Amino acid sequence: MKTGSSSRSNNRKIWQRGSLVLSLALSAISPLEANTNVPAPVQDHPILLKGGTIYPVSSVILEGAQILFQNGKISALGNRIKAPKNTEIIDISGKSVYPGLIGSNTLAGLVEIGAVRATRDFTESGEINPNSRAESAVNPDSEIFPVTRANGVLVINTVPSAGKKGLIAGTSALMKLDGWTWEEMVIKAPVGLHIKWPERISGGPTVFNRNMAYGSGTKDKEEAYEKALRRLRDSFANARAYLKVLENSPLQQDSDLRWEAMIPVLKREIPVFVHADRLEEIRRAVHWSEEEVVRLVIVGGQDAWRAADLLKEKSVAVIVSPVMALPLRRWEPYDTPFANPAKLHASGILFAIANAGGRSDAAHERNLPYQAAMAAAYGLPKEEALKAVTLNAAKILGVEDRLGSLEAGKDATLIVTDGDPLEIRTQVEMAFIDGRLIDLSSRHTRLYQKYQEKYRQLKKE
Amino acid sequence: MNLNSRLKTSALSLLSLISLSSLSGQVPSGPTIGLRDNTPRIHALVGADVVIAPGKVITNGIVILRNGLIEAAGSESDLALPKEARVWRLEGKTIYPGFIESYTQLGLPKNLRSQKAKTEERSFGEGPAPDQPKPRFEGGAEHWNPLVSPQRIAATSIKINQKETAAMRELGFATALVAPSRGVFRGQGSVVNLSGKSLNNSLLEESAVQHIAFELTPWLSGNYPTSLMGATALIRQTFYDTRWHTERKNQEGKERSEANAAYEALAPASEGRQTVLFAAEDELDYERIARIAHEFDLSYALLGNGHEYRKTEMLRQMEATVILPLNFPEAPPVGNPDRALEISLEALQHWESAPANPAALAQADIPICFTANFLKSPGKSFWKNVRQAVANGLTESQALAALTTHPSKLLGLGSKLGSIKAGKIANLVVAEGNLFQDKNSKILSLWIDGRPYPTKASETIDPRGTWALTWTGAAGPAEWKISGKPKDLKVKANEESFLAKIEAKTVLAFPPATLFGWEKGVVRVSSVLKDGNLSGIGTLPDGSVFFWTGERTAPHSGKKENNSQPLPQHPESRRQTYPAGAYGLAGKPEQPATILIRNTTIWTCGASGVLGKADMLVHKGKIERIGQDLAVPEGAVVIDAEGWHLTPGLIDAHSHTAIARRVNEASHAVTLEVRIGDALDSTDIGLYRELAGGLTTANLLHGSANPMGGQNQVIKLRWGEDAEGLKFQGAMPGVKFALGENVKQSNWGDHVVTRYPQTRMGVEQIMRDTFKAAQDYERTWQAYRANPEGPAPRRNLRLDAALEILNSERLVHIHSYRQDEILTFARLAKEMGFTMGTFQHVLEGYKVADEIAAIGAGGSTFSDWWAYKFEVYDAISYNGALMHENGVLTSFNSDDNELARRLNTEAAKAVKYGGVSEEEALKFVTLNAAKQLRINQWVGSLEPGKDADFVLWSDHPLSSYSRAEQTWIEGRKYFDRKQDARQQALVLKERQRLIQKALDERLKKKGKHESDDKDLDKEDEPPNLEPENNYENENGWHEKEYRSIYHNGESVETCTGHETI
Repeated sequence: MKTGSSSRSNNRKIWQRGSLVLSLALSAISPLEANTNVPAPVQDHPILLKGGTIYPVSSVILEGAQILFQNGKISALGNRIKAPKNTEIIDISGKSVYPGLIGSNTLAGLVEIGAVRATRDFTESGEINPNSRAESAVNPDSEIFPVTRANGVLVINTVPSAGKKGLIAGTSALMKLDGWTWEEMVIKAPVGLHIKWPERISGGPTVFNRNMAYGSGTKDKEEAYEKALRRLRDSFANARAYLKVLENSPLQQDSDLRWEAMIPVLKREIPVFVHADRLEEIRRAVHWSEEEVVRLVIVGGQDAWRAADLLKEKSVAVIVSPVMALPLRRWEPYDTPFANPAKLHASGILFAIANAGGRSDAAHERNLPYQAAMAAAYGLPKEEALKAVTLNAAKILGVEDRLGSLEAGKDATLIVTDGDPLEIRTQVEMAFIDGRLIDLSSRHTRLYQKYQEKYRQLKKE
Repeated sequence: MNLNSRLKTSALSLLSLISLSSLSGQVPSGPTIGLRDNTPRIHALVGADVVIAPGKVITNGIVILRNGLIEAAGSESDLALPKEARVWRLEGKTIYPGFIESYTQLGLPKNLRSQKAKTEERSFGEGPAPDQPKPRFEGGAEHWNPLVSPQRIAATSIKINQKETAAMRELGFATALVAPSRGVFRGQGSVVNLSGKSLNNSLLEESAVQHIAFELTPWLSGNYPTSLMGATALIRQTFYDTRWHTERKNQEGKERSEANAAYEALAPASEGRQTVLFAAEDELDYERIARIAHEFDLSYALLGNGHEYRKTEMLRQMEATVILPLNFPEAPPVGNPDRALEISLEALQHWESAPANPAALAQADIPICFTANFLKSPGKSFWKNVRQAVANGLTESQALAALTTHPSKLLGLGSKLGSIKAGKIANLVVAEGNLFQDKNSKILSLWIDGRPYPTKASETIDPRGTWALTWTGAAGPAEWKISGKPKDLKVKANEESFLAKIEAKTVLAFPPATLFGWEKGVVRVSSVLKDGNLSGIGTLPDGSVFFWTGERTAPHSGKKENNSQPLPQHPESRRQTYPAGAYGLAGKPEQPATILIRNTTIWTCGASGVLGKADMLVHKGKIERIGQDLAVPEGAVVIDAEGWHLTPGLIDAHSHTAIARRVNEASHAVTLEVRIGDALDSTDIGLYRELAGGLTTANLLHGSANPMGGQNQVIKLRWGEDAEGLKFQGAMPGVKFALGENVKQSNWGDHVVTRYPQTRMGVEQIMRDTFKAAQDYERTWQAYRANPEGPAPRRNLRLDAALEILNSERLVHIHSYRQDEILTFARLAKEMGFTMGTFQHVLEGYKVADEIAAIGAGGSTFSDWWAYKFEVYDAISYNGALMHENGVLTSFNSDDNELARRLNTEAAKAVKYGGVSEEEALKFVTLNAAKQLRINQWVGSLEPGKDADFVLWSDHPLSSYSRAEQTWIEGRKYFDRKQDARQQALVLKERQRLIQKALDERLKKKGKHESDDKDLDKEDEPPNLEPENNYENENGWHEKEYRSIYHNGESVETCTGHETI
């Protein structure tokens, strides 16, 4: 196929802006001609990247260093590593190595095209859906995944979302962005139970008329708010009652999928992720989590900096989602959302940075690193910005033993770049997931190549 | 044009009409049923202070009324009392001319009443998104648009309601303008006397004014207009049509023109013979109204909204009378710390400033009238608010003028109403105490057409005070003192205290029998109060009856109600900034004559490329020189920008910031006549936030709800200016077109399937048809110009715009995605031979870059958006690079208030995806966008002679770590991160000051109503402002697009979450 062969050479051009020669990499992905990306085979031989600068995140930067990984795990980092005989050695001089970036709040996998209903699988009907499992509906062949990982975002937490009146959306799943099936992609599931805290302020941040300038909702809204909170409390009480029967006289109890799904939360095995932006919502969620004795993570957190003392005292982590946002309120400083992470950092709160997590954000998950960069531009130390999309995310999502930093024993899920991955102009040149070299082509690169060919043909005419 | 003189002429011409017709209503023409009523109507009101006109008082005056008219008014010494007159002694009272309510919906059916009636006290801003206007039933040859009914006359729909008229008399109103309040052209307001008698008797003027408002239809109603710009266009076209209709009507020998009651009825207004009363929903409407009024040379007045103090200078220049709703907000509910966050500084400031609004206008010599129409409970708050206005600087005369002389003049009834003068209608107000200052003052009676109407207030019984008592048949105390609240009276006599109450206008008291010489038991006494005397009956414990009388010897002297309760005062010291609230400016930022920026990296985006360690010299807002080691001119402001980077101000070729009340005229498929420039929102906080991201110029586009949308407006982000001040003078006019899913309504909900077109085939056809129509239109005009006999062809603003496109005087910016539709339109453009501006979005532009380049169109795209809807599934981040490489003038845009704050890093994506050089990539958000908008002779690059629009960045402008430190437009610094930090601190401080003040007022109020907590809480609850029709489908198209000014700055999101349709 003509297109196919030209595609290969172009492909090289695209992701080899530097001097790096990737013949090895290309040979590792044999069926490149296919229109869809083929998952990489399991790592069957050790790989050593040498000559690059290594950013382990959890420790000091290593210049001109080496990193060795085998069987999908990092086995060593340092300046002089003894590699096994069959090690494939890749010279990455002048390049940098980072842990794969982690997107901690996204709908990717549950939606393909936002406006097309048939491709939307993120919101179940009804208010209480703790038994919805994100991983069960993740489409491994989504075109969004290759596009996302090509920019170094190798792991995502796919999060079901609550509808307009929904409360408990379901459980999220941490997925690596390569695999034949969703099962292969799952790193951890469930990660946490996701709850949308009801909004007291009518219309949320997008109030549409000035009469709301005073911020109070109508009486109906107030009642709806209190009712939603009661509903939430009832759900937890019911789940607890269910657990009690199961623990004491299980034979008396018919099964209830909803309460069944909440047991890991009640046992504090997984946290509750409460999606909340405004101070009142955050504050009440914190107190609520204490009453329910559940582990809490705040997602969204536009006002988290206002609640910093409380969050710190109660050791509540925050997934700031997103940084690139407009201030909630007209009178607030223009850079309020940009400066939010720096303030959380200064207060000693554990936080990660994520994209917005909305319907149309899924396809743009690749821009995750720039959310972190914006926080760095407005006061967050750069290394903390990097941490917010790697190690801190891993900690909050409960996978710090496997991901988030480059340490011996952790998953060999990493990227090779020609610079700081938080800079837009930086290219991701190689990506490994569990030590497997990942195909960085995508629908975008393929269409790019196809139409480059069109203009080549035109010029020949 | 001298509007005042226009007003005068129109007033005169109306007067002559009135004297002939309207007043004859007083002499009934029908047969008498039963006996005739010929009660004499000759009255002399004697002894009161007579305020014959604002500022003119006759103490101890006499007013003589005869047969419904004022015969004379003068002092007791000058004026002889006619012997035949019935005499009314009014010593200690004050007589005013009858007050005029300048705007009311009295007696109108529901479908003509304001949709805002339910929001009533519009204290916290404007109304909700509009609901569906009720269908009209005017009948006859109607205008095609149901919102255009200038032929409607209020009087034909009025049903006099005794309760309503009586309630208005309680406030002192003797006359009112009854205003039909639905529609764009709402019809003609009628003036009635509030006697409650039949219209034959009370109608003074049928067609006093024509009412116009920017009323919209709901989104998805399919009815025109859904937008402010649409309403404006409708008003404009209707006036043109009226003129044309008038002109054509008088032509003989031609086929008759369409019968149309609307144009007939609008002729007097369009010729300046009838005053047009425009409703201004917010403070930006004044400018919009002035623009229309000047275009058509109208005589006009404004129905205000309470925010006029922010635009006094503009209103002064407009020389229009303003009707003020005295809708002063309650102290904001700041008690709840969570919720207080949501109260904007603008709202806090407005609460403090609103009571000074009337004074601000009066001091600027703007004639004002008052209306109680928009108050929740006028009975409670109207006079309270008038007094509050007076406490805040309005003089009593000015307040009185707002109730008398100004409205009478506005309504063209100056010779009949408004003052106490011989020959005028005998409408009077009799009051006790000073209405404008004294809380305890009250209106005792009204005289309307020379007949007395006592008020309820005059009948209230207040037995408080000290009474000398006389007993017949019992031996009671000689004196008692009554105090307490009217509902809950306390009586003291001989050291004994007991209770009393008022029941059915009777005073009931229950003194202990000891006061009557008994050992125990309770005595019952009751009495009526008449002319200051009590007289009644009582029963002793044994059942024996006695009689008694009392005479008041001293008035109630209990704790005086705190009348000088601190009313919110407008703080003189507060710096006036605009827009109101946070981050407003006190004036244009200063423009230093000479500025030298030194030692910095300059990205010229011009021929000089990128210069290291270079200097830029700015003189009077223009770039003078760029080079190394420039000499420092004397007096220059020197900015040492070492370590920073200097770039041109960024340009956003696709923005919806600063557009008020909908960005889509989503009704018709073709709406070329609507203009974004008519609906600019200079208060949009997005302007300031975008300046903080280095943006200086933006192309404000109509949305993409229809194939041929509206006219765009290029602006500079001159924060603090009004709409005119934002406009980019000299920018080539343009228009928004759109293709694909949005215009064929694919994502509007499954039920929206009827509007043409529903396919891409139809999209091309309707465009073609419109262009053909424009060509036909042009031929008609050409024929007329060649032989200008008979009436000129009808001016069609829609086709005017189409013609401008065909003549390449108006650039097309077309929303487009798929390559097929891009190519199809490119072919149409070529065939029609017009100049293209840009393909917007153009996410498949990379597939047909050669075709786009071939017709000289630009491509303005997203850097990397895709997959938000089906037609963008093939969008790729290499689009910009591919178009650029293949000859398309390419820019990146935001289409989003958030993304517009960081276009510099969007440009970096052209480097990342497709390897465009950094220098060229920066042009995607500067020079290339400028060229696309044909404004590159002024902006887009840093070159001598161009506007000094520039940004100083903390870092490499394409770096994601870079911050805009300063943003300048025309040598004026509009954003400075350091200044911003100071502003932030000021905002916090000002908020805290106002919150403390509001807390203070609320707590005081709470204390006052200790027993009445419920009431206060109730006040907190805002009126239900949810729009009745909150259209929303699964894709989230709903009323969010409608927003009033001073919003929080969010993007107007619709179906994609990113892209405004």
